[in-house]
Amino acid sequence: MNAIDALDNQIIRFHGVTKHFGETYALRDLTFEVRKNDFLFITGPSGAGKSTLIKLLYMGERISDGYAIIDGMNLSRIGRRQIPQLRRKIGVIFQDFKLIANRTVFQNVALVMEVAGFKSRSVIRQRVEDLLELVGLPHQADAYPPTLSGGEKQRAAVARAMVGKPRIILADEPTASLDPDASERVLQLLRAAHARGATVLITTHDTRLLSRFDARVIYLESGRRVDAPSAAGNVND
Amino acid sequence: MIDVCRRALSDFYRHRYLHGVCLFTIALSVFIISAFSLFFINAGELMGAWQQGIRITAYLKPDVTKKQAADLAADIEQYPGVASVSYVSGKEGLAWLKEQLGTGSSLLSDLKENPLPDALEIHPAKNMAAMSGADRLAGKIAEFAEVSDVEYAREWMQRFYGIYNLFKVTAFVMAGLVFVAILFIVANTIRLILYSRREEIEITRIIGADEAFIKHPLYLEALMLGSFGGVAGLAMLYGAFFSLMPKLSPEGLLPFFRVRFLPLELVLAILISSMFVGWLGCYFSIRRFLRA
Repeated sequence: MNAIDALDNQIIRFHGVTKHFGETYALRDLTFEVRKNDFLFITGPSGAGKSTLIKLLYMGERISDGYAIIDGMNLSRIGRRQIPQLRRKIGVIFQDFKLIANRTVFQNVALVMEVAGFKSRSVIRQRVEDLLELVGLPHQADAYPPTLSGGEKQRAAVARAMVGKPRIILADEPTASLDPDASERVLQLLRAAHARGATVLITTHDTRLLSRFDARVIYLESGRRVDAPSAAGNVND
Repeated sequence: MIDVCRRALSDFYRHRYLHGVCLFTIALSVFIISAFSLFFINAGELMGAWQQGIRITAYLKPDVTKKQAADLAADIEQYPGVASVSYVSGKEGLAWLKEQLGTGSSLLSDLKENPLPDALEIHPAKNMAAMSGADRLAGKIAEFAEVSDVEYAREWMQRFYGIYNLFKVTAFVMAGLVFVAILFIVANTIRLILYSRREEIEITRIIGADEAFIKHPLYLEALMLGSFGGVAGLAMLYGAFFSLMPKLSPEGLLPFFRVRFLPLELVLAILISSMFVGWLGCYFSIRRFLRA
């Protein structure tokens, strides 16, 4: 593969990215690339900058220094009006699910399609029902998030992240608050999304998870990329 | 647009409690401001009714013929600020005086000849601005060769205009203050709604919603709040008006004056203003909220 092909194949490119909040640095001089349809873990102890990295990727925060390109969009130069365009290419899954409490599971998932501009109610209905079938929640379509278990909430969040057929799925500690069975189910779904062509980035501090996947891993410690976790910064701390 | 309406309606229902609070706030504000309007309109009408009694009397010289008096009346009628001019002969004047004196009219029976000259009674226009020129009008009338003297209740009229102007200024200041207060209350209530929905709005933004997707249903909700609040406020006023009406009827406190409800144009203006206030409050709140 020549250099141009390699660049063409990259969907995420971070170069010397730094993020600080006043005097506090969350990420320092971070450089990495992600190829299309990669399945990638970002790991590190608490405070390593994993969640900040996810926020930078969906532009929940702006980078302080360096540059980042996502699917051809330069995050340093992106205007406020372009942010929604970027976000529609990305599905995000959070540790705390971030489902809208007063909307049903169906409505939470369908909202992504409404935001993307789908007008046909039947198309939205069909697609959302398919996704709820895939994540095993067809019977909970009319349920409200507060009535669901943690695992069900996360599966609903996965359905929401997948329904817009995004090119990238970001999962920020998606299994951190789930029991082993529920975690396994969510990971299976993320693998299914990967199999459908999405690039999947998962942040986790659980090294047991890493050992079960043959996937690329990026280690972070105190906001910097490291080759492997140091004894002091063991990710299971 | 249908999609925006659908989302606005479902959001309205979903957040019915807070919307209810906001709607009540607007309804109360509309009630207060429309009650003020009702008071000022009726007070204005009442003053207008008093105004009917104001007139300028121009006494004519003894040698002025009826025809000259009629020509003069026609001339004066053309003046700005004059509503009508009527000729009152000395004889009619004396008859009126006797009628006013009632049993005391015997005092006039000894008179050998009628001391009252013929006169013109000039009724100023209802327009207060024109009426305030009564001094100038009286001066002009006095300049006619046929007129010997001009008489009118100058002091009373000046006091009347003073009260009326004070009344008008108070009404404008009050309306302005109430408008600002309502805008402030509505903007803050809508901000409260936005803060209660901040997580929902934040999530909607994360999944790729642009500002229009978030703002348009909110503006529509604000317009709905404004219109529903306006209708509710006016309905409250209507209820209060018709329960108090019997006490203010011609047989009640104000025997010479019929209290009226707000005219239809004002009702519509209040409704549109209420919708506008809802929209403006939403505009200020959203701007601050989305910037934050």
